[in-house]
Amino acid sequence: MGEEFKPRIVAFLCNWCSYAGADVAGGSKLEMPPTLTPIKVMCSSRVDPVMVTLAFLRGADGVLIAGCHPGDCHYDKGNYYARRRFAVLKTIFETLDLEPERLRLSWVSASEGQRYAEVVREFSAKIAELGPNPRRRQPAGIKES
Amino acid sequence: MTAASSAEDNVLVIGAGMAGIEASLTLAEAGAKVYLVEREPLFGGKTIKYEEVFANMECSTCMAAPKQQEVLQNDRIELMTLSEVREVKGEAGDFTVGVHRKARYVDAEACIGCNACFDPCPVSLPNEFEENLGERKAIYLPCPGALPNVPSIDTERCVRFTENKECTLCQEACMFEAIDFNQKDEDVELKVSGIIVATGSDLIDSSQLKELGYSGEGNVYTALELERLYASNGPTEGTIQLRDGRTPSSAAIVHCAGRKDTGYCSAVCCMYSLKFVHYLKDKLPDTTVHEFYTDMCIPGKKYQEFHDRMKDKVNLVRYDELSVSPNGGSVGISYKSGAGTNEKLDVDMLILAPAMVPSRGAEELAGMLGIEQGGRGFFGSSTGSPAESGKGGIYVAGCAQGPKDIGQSVAQAGAAVGRFLSAASRGFSGE
Amino acid sequence: MEKRIGVYVCECGPNISEALDIDRVVEAVSGMDGVVVADRYKLLCAGAGQQHLVDQIKEHDLTHLVVAACSPKEHESTFMSVCEKAGINPYMFQMANIREQVAWVTPDKEQATERAIRHVRAAVGRVIRHTPLATREIECNPDVLVIGGGIAGLSSAALLAGPERKVYLVEKEPALGGAVKGYEKLFPGMRSGSELVQRYQAQVEANDNITVLTGTTVKSILGFLGNFEIAVENGQGEGQEFMVGAVVAALGMKEDTESLGEYGYGEIDDVYTALEVEAMNLEGRLALKNGDAPKSVGIIHCVGREHSEYCSSVCCMAGMKIGRYLKDKLGDVKVTGFYRDLCVPGCDAEQFYRETRDAGMEFVRVGRVEVHDSGNGIVLKCGTAEGAVKEEKVDMVVLLPSVQAAEDVGALAEMLSLPLGPHGFMIEEHEKLAPVNTSMEGVYLAGGVTGPGTAEQTLSQSEAAAGRILAGLVPGRKLETEARVSEIRADLCAGCRTCLTVCCYGAIDYDPMKGICVVNEVLCRGCGNCASACPSGAASHRHFTSNQIYREMAEILK
Repeated sequence: MGEEFKPRIVAFLCNWCSYAGADVAGGSKLEMPPTLTPIKVMCSSRVDPVMVTLAFLRGADGVLIAGCHPGDCHYDKGNYYARRRFAVLKTIFETLDLEPERLRLSWVSASEGQRYAEVVREFSAKIAELGPNPRRRQPAGIKES
Repeated sequence: MTAASSAEDNVLVIGAGMAGIEASLTLAEAGAKVYLVEREPLFGGKTIKYEEVFANMECSTCMAAPKQQEVLQNDRIELMTLSEVREVKGEAGDFTVGVHRKARYVDAEACIGCNACFDPCPVSLPNEFEENLGERKAIYLPCPGALPNVPSIDTERCVRFTENKECTLCQEACMFEAIDFNQKDEDVELKVSGIIVATGSDLIDSSQLKELGYSGEGNVYTALELERLYASNGPTEGTIQLRDGRTPSSAAIVHCAGRKDTGYCSAVCCMYSLKFVHYLKDKLPDTTVHEFYTDMCIPGKKYQEFHDRMKDKVNLVRYDELSVSPNGGSVGISYKSGAGTNEKLDVDMLILAPAMVPSRGAEELAGMLGIEQGGRGFFGSSTGSPAESGKGGIYVAGCAQGPKDIGQSVAQAGAAVGRFLSAASRGFSGE
Repeated sequence: MEKRIGVYVCECGPNISEALDIDRVVEAVSGMDGVVVADRYKLLCAGAGQQHLVDQIKEHDLTHLVVAACSPKEHESTFMSVCEKAGINPYMFQMANIREQVAWVTPDKEQATERAIRHVRAAVGRVIRHTPLATREIECNPDVLVIGGGIAGLSSAALLAGPERKVYLVEKEPALGGAVKGYEKLFPGMRSGSELVQRYQAQVEANDNITVLTGTTVKSILGFLGNFEIAVENGQGEGQEFMVGAVVAALGMKEDTESLGEYGYGEIDDVYTALEVEAMNLEGRLALKNGDAPKSVGIIHCVGREHSEYCSSVCCMAGMKIGRYLKDKLGDVKVTGFYRDLCVPGCDAEQFYRETRDAGMEFVRVGRVEVHDSGNGIVLKCGTAEGAVKEEKVDMVVLLPSVQAAEDVGALAEMLSLPLGPHGFMIEEHEKLAPVNTSMEGVYLAGGVTGPGTAEQTLSQSEAAAGRILAGLVPGRKLETEARVSEIRADLCAGCRTCLTVCCYGAIDYDPMKGICVVNEVLCRGCGNCASACPSGAASHRHFTSNQIYREMAEILK
């Protein structure tokens, strides 16, 4: 007890827009809380519900999925699929005993460094407010092949 | 033309905007070696000055950046920035081109793009890329995200060149020994079998349009100035504010600025003026926006839809004649409406949509290449295909040939490459 | 095979070395499974740094490489080349971004160090699951099918055909030339339309490498880039089949007839469409039904625009051209254009308008126009800009209707499994960056089929389509696939076809014999959507497999 809660957030960033936007935020030296670690995917449509669920089961306090703005997806409609999967996943969040706000979907374009920083800061603050993942436990029992 | 890249398969592309980029990438795919010559220190043309493009408000830099990266990473494309064509000799299949390359004074291999050299520079001046709305130093990058991501020294401003001073402040600040004052301008000779001219366009000098009140100091702006104000990588990071710091509560956009002088319609202004409504309403939702137009030029399957979405957010006013004069802190507009009545309106901010004119230096380039300029100064012959210049082995693409939007510029660049590849495969016979 | 991972942390000058404790990062990864060497270096992207990596890979017999430095967007390809030079597969590499996403945004050195450790451990955890990837080469046929024998098809075919590339030019009408051969003149220069067509047609007919098939339609298009199977059929029911590598759709346009009735067309005598007047002009009979020359002609713009909801680009100029025909041929005739907005973009169009005014044509800006049969001629009723209602008596009315894609565009789109846009035109891959491509690689668009436009715009598109094909489908050169594409395990695939439905590029085929789905690696763009959608885990995205991502995630969440 007494140890400050350091949120651990996993962010799925798409190669063409949001990852580039994160780089621009970096290039502009915009300070962001150290709570978030990115995983680069080619498209936000690569992020499937199992991946997200597993992140929470492994103890992630928050998951951010960021893709291109609707209409701008490098792969035509990938981000629309991401949006749909995300919406469906949110509806079953209750069954996981998790607050739906722990999962966020944002659109960040490749030049929106400022916006990326804001999303990260806001989301980190929200997760800090929500507290640790109630399901956080040792990562045993998850088999990998 | 086979896929092998032999010496004859060299092509020169003049101008590295969207049309030049498209031409270069397609030529490289065909196996050609491409010399992509660009006079600015960065490339991307006008497109990279916009935050968004019509009609879907796509992020402009996001759209251009992957293409720019492809150019930078393509082994067959040699991008030569700070370079200009000085001489052209020869004919289709065998041109000899003299290119003058200005020194950057920064070693592109050593520089890691950390920008530490800017701060110590003692010379500050208005930044042309930012339409003079922001400042830069004598050693500078035109904007955040500029590619190549390597600064250059402006020899017309750096005191080492203008005053022969032994100033080494930037060099001292560089941890990577990337600044090299020993670099020299050089003249290179390129042997190419074809040339594609993609030099783009400029806006007419609005200060010449006497009745429209533009001075570069007041609250009358040009389209490019507004683009830089709205740009998230611009001098105000996207905040739209007047030169005196006030936030405008009313704005007017005036189409056809300079149209009487040029005698043609610049094709893209109606659409980008509607885009400006989106810009203004996005940042300043409570601002009243008026748009003064003569004819609404929105051809094609996609544009009217955008107009229909924007039209309720703006007061569209058809005008016959219009003049502008300052009115205290406001901008006073006097106009004759489409219905024939004389009206007046005061606004905080006025944005002009100035005519598109051939790029600076078009006349000299036409002379060097031996190609025609039409009556309006744009390149190209009026017979045959739009990508033809009238001279064998030389092709035109994009706004260098006449006002058009990005999609048409890119298509035309493809056409220029198509004509070149086809002609090259036939040994340029009949050109 | 033993995994030997080398981890190298770049100082990037002071950028990384002063922002965090590199030694601690190196230490933190040294003990990880599979890591045989972990070290720091001054500047890895420089020539010396790259050579250092090559040397290290050889010295330590590394099988995997991790570089912790700037963004992969800066130097991933640089270090992948380093791997290749050192003799290991370039995909056995992962980069950890500890500059843009750690050093530059985390001011507290301790926090930055912890963060960097997490990023680098994640990269190591991931790379251990990488497998060597390779691109594949596929034979391709450089020949081309051009559908449509108007100026778009003719100009494209003329550029494309050569001794090593055959072009099949298929035209459903008995003659080539399309719409433009029906125009005596073209705007804005008033050049001859038929001469322009003649020029291209002559090039095509003289070219032995172009097979012209008139009176013929396309029955089916199967396959993909470099490997299309085409079946065509002529009017006599005789079929032909051939292989091509690319298709250019240049079907052209037609007038939208839906709204014509609202303007008295078909009911009131002497109400004609623009194309009808073009035909009359070519035949030398610009006259009324009763044979007399008209004394007064009204040309109505924007016919049907309320329904189409787009501007057809060419009608204002076409109306002016018709006005010039009338003035040139009939002399003493009043010609008035009733327009809403004058659309004359580009450096020559406005001059054309001025010359037309100088030739005596008048222009009146109006709102909606109504066409009435007064019993004694035609009366046009229109609302003016000043708010009045103007009436004008005319002998003849010329309607300028909306321009649509040609009749057969729907059938073609279905053959290709490509959608049509909301206005019935075929959809280009990207409005600005890829105006002549479609989302199906190897299928290109030119002219009216993709949207209303002038002859000049059409020629830009048709020649651009040729350019793309000349550059991308080179005789003798094989097609190379991208390495990071999707794949489907046959033993896990249930044939549910979910992947197929989510693929935006038609890159997945269903094999009905085996009851499974198969990825076409030539067409796959590597987005990973199918891998997400697959319920059984049969579909995976190479280099972005679930395992790789889970390992990365696991390290982050330790």
